[in-house]
Amino acid sequence: MAAAGSRRVADGGGSGGTFQPYLDSLRHELQHRDPTLLSVVVALLAVLLTLVFWKFVRSRRSSQRAVLLVGLCDSGKTLLFVRLLTGLYRNTQTSITDSSAVYRVNNNRGNSLTLIDLPGHESLRLQFLERFKTSARAVVFVVDSAAFQREVKDVAEFLYQVLIDSMGLKNTPAFLIACNKQDIAMAKSAKLIQQQLEKELNTLRVTRSAAPSTLESSSTVPAQLGKKGKEFEFSQLPLKVEFLECSAKGGRGDTGPAGIQDVEKWLAKIA
Amino acid sequence: MLDFFTIFSKGGLVLWCFQGVSDSCTGPVNALIRSVLLQERGGNNSFTHEALTLKYKLDNQFELVFVVGFQKILTLTYVDKLIDDVHRQFRDKYRTEIQQQSALSLLNGTFDFQNDFLRLLREAEESSKIRAPTTMKKFEESEKAKKPVRSMIETRGEKPKEKAKNSKKKGAKKEGSDGPLATSKAVPAEKSGLPMGPENGIELSKEELIRRKREEFIQKHGRGMEKSSKSMKSDAPKEKGKKAPRVWELGGCANKEVLDYSTPTTNGTPEAALSEDINLIRGTGPGGQLQDLDCSSSDDEAAAQNATKPRATKGTLGGMFGMLKGLVGSKSLSREDMESVLDKMRDHLIAKNVAADIAVQLCESVANKLEGKVMGTFSTVTSTVKQALQESLVQILQPQRRVDMLRDIMDAQRRQRPYVVTFCGVNGVGKSTNLAKISFWLLENGFSVLIAACDTFRAGAVEQLRTHTRRLSALHPPENHGGRTMVQLFEKGYGKDAAGIAMEAIAFARNQGFDVVLVDTAGRMQDNAPLMTALAKLITVNTPDLVLFVGEALVGNEAVDQLVKFNRALADHSMAQTPRLIDGIVLTKFDTIDDKVGAAISMTYITSKPIVFVGTGQTYCDLRSLNAKAVVAALMKA
Repeated sequence: MAAAGSRRVADGGGSGGTFQPYLDSLRHELQHRDPTLLSVVVALLAVLLTLVFWKFVRSRRSSQRAVLLVGLCDSGKTLLFVRLLTGLYRNTQTSITDSSAVYRVNNNRGNSLTLIDLPGHESLRLQFLERFKTSARAVVFVVDSAAFQREVKDVAEFLYQVLIDSMGLKNTPAFLIACNKQDIAMAKSAKLIQQQLEKELNTLRVTRSAAPSTLESSSTVPAQLGKKGKEFEFSQLPLKVEFLECSAKGGRGDTGPAGIQDVEKWLAKIA
Repeated sequence: MLDFFTIFSKGGLVLWCFQGVSDSCTGPVNALIRSVLLQERGGNNSFTHEALTLKYKLDNQFELVFVVGFQKILTLTYVDKLIDDVHRQFRDKYRTEIQQQSALSLLNGTFDFQNDFLRLLREAEESSKIRAPTTMKKFEESEKAKKPVRSMIETRGEKPKEKAKNSKKKGAKKEGSDGPLATSKAVPAEKSGLPMGPENGIELSKEELIRRKREEFIQKHGRGMEKSSKSMKSDAPKEKGKKAPRVWELGGCANKEVLDYSTPTTNGTPEAALSEDINLIRGTGPGGQLQDLDCSSSDDEAAAQNATKPRATKGTLGGMFGMLKGLVGSKSLSREDMESVLDKMRDHLIAKNVAADIAVQLCESVANKLEGKVMGTFSTVTSTVKQALQESLVQILQPQRRVDMLRDIMDAQRRQRPYVVTFCGVNGVGKSTNLAKISFWLLENGFSVLIAACDTFRAGAVEQLRTHTRRLSALHPPENHGGRTMVQLFEKGYGKDAAGIAMEAIAFARNQGFDVVLVDTAGRMQDNAPLMTALAKLITVNTPDLVLFVGEALVGNEAVDQLVKFNRALADHSMAQTPRLIDGIVLTKFDTIDDKVGAAISMTYITSKPIVFVGTGQTYCDLRSLNAKAVVAALMKA
């Protein structure tokens, strides 16, 4: 076998030049070695390559294409979710778990986003946010404009939590604060809600950082929102925060269309 | 009959709804979801809300919830069966739509279930009507009519002894042999000739039975029994005559003279004491020293281990097969699979100091949530159950309302009135110590504090608070805060009415411009009714902004009792429409438990109120807030 190999090498010796002797020696070495060892090496190499390839593909697929709908309980997230997807009106109950669906954005590129509707109940909201925040490309924070005056402290507290979590992520998502339920007469405007939230978050910064530390407190300092010393404004954040008005129920309730064109346009913009 | 029937997905979409009355069903269903499902009380499947009873069923495989509501005053027997039928029918009919992961299929599908539902409802109502109330049997049909008169004659003496002896046999064999007895005596009895009432007749037929059984027993087991039975029978007729007092052979002699141990006294002074045996009084142990308790728990552990071993061996085989099936693909969880894991989890929770009935309820709720769920590939039953239990524990520890005292104090500051916090709890849990810690924290944040000493009972309570005030004053002297006293003690000595002192303290704080009033009350046991009334009066009269219950982390099952009784006392003695209950919990002595953190779960489960502070020591800096994930991790750690 070695003699035949060397004869073949001698025949093809004309072309190849100086590399041939090295290739000869390599081939000799490989042939002399135990064939099982060779196969094991080749198999390991193949596995490594597939792993690397798979990881690459996974990271590409789970790259942030998700839009999270968060907010307090009863703010209208599930109905907004339904309206965005189908344009119909459905009765809803308090969500216990998340719902997700693929949404085709109506811009000329026709991208698709994954809309994820998270439950707003106090005992569930942080758990689900934790689970989905890494895959978030954008966060829509839905606010009940009619009940805002009553709930401003709870809204601010949850918004504070969401902002702190988002700022800790690698790629900060785009933020939209959708002031829902504008069809009700007593609803506050987006501008008023923005001012109130800024004032509330201003005091929350102080009180939250002054709260007693948790049991397993390591030396991590809680993140600071905005600039110290100056009054808090949403423009000071490293995130892009926008305020829009919308009405998931629509002017005529379950028979008419919803007033969510602004939200759709925003989604088209960030897609 | 039904008020409504709803089918909705766990994500919140209502798939189909039947409304018998015009009221909307969203309100009661939302209340059901919030109180039962989200607070992990899903053990039993019914819930009462105002005038309605709601029964529900979870489909964990397709993430659906079926809820039916009807008036509380009605008792409809067919509801459970109706829910099961509707569930099965709906699932079979719309399997393709509900199986998908995306919500689009649910949104786009039309669930036209009205006709099927009405048909099922009609069937259920009819099936409940079919079972008509049972008509009374006529005399000819009864068993007594088939027995002869002779068998019903009672011989009084033998009755009590034989009854006691053969009570065990009676139960087992009665049904079987009533039949043959009745048929063997085919002679119909004469109605008029019956001397006894119907009750005696039944007893006597049992008598017959007993006698027959004994004869068979004697034949099987020889003569020994017969002799004793004969001796008993001979005794019995003797007693028939006069009613002599019973003589218990083993009972000693219960004579009145012997039982009288009182020494004859004149005017209360006893006579010369009887020379008692000194050695008998002292006993045989060493005198002054206390011996150690003998730990005999090893026997119990060995017995428990032996009991669990056979169960474990039966479980491993099934577990292996189940795991293989789980590896392959879709295996849905059933109660039997989960039972062993849930038992282990329940014992684990109890070992971590969670109250026993709360651990039971939690495991029931988790079982309810997981039943029928399809496990993913490469996940075992144990891991799925552990995951679900962990999620529900974190859910319980999440506060249901906002926990930010500083923000509320700022609000009260703006309204020019003091923020009043009351501390209540049983004796010795650390109310005064933690009150001092919280006042230190408030001082550090720039609020001025008035401490109201409403513990007017315990010796040294006021002095304790005075010492704390002095130390806090030294840390925050008025010079540092522009001449304003930051901390002051309001006390009126001992023995006065606590509610009155609290009211005066709040008025004083309002006049002097203090930001916070911390009211320290005396420790009291939850069973002590007058003291609980006094506490309820203090809280009703003064309407504090925050009522904090101070509980120690060392408490076990007692936590449930304490909290329930405290809440009940506050609710009972309140005049208001919505009584002020406990608003938050302070968990103290957290540094004394390593990872047996179950008390946190017990307390939050019972009250559904958040743990506001955690005390981890006795210095002023040992005040923390609760980290739900860390506590649950410590709980689930093996």
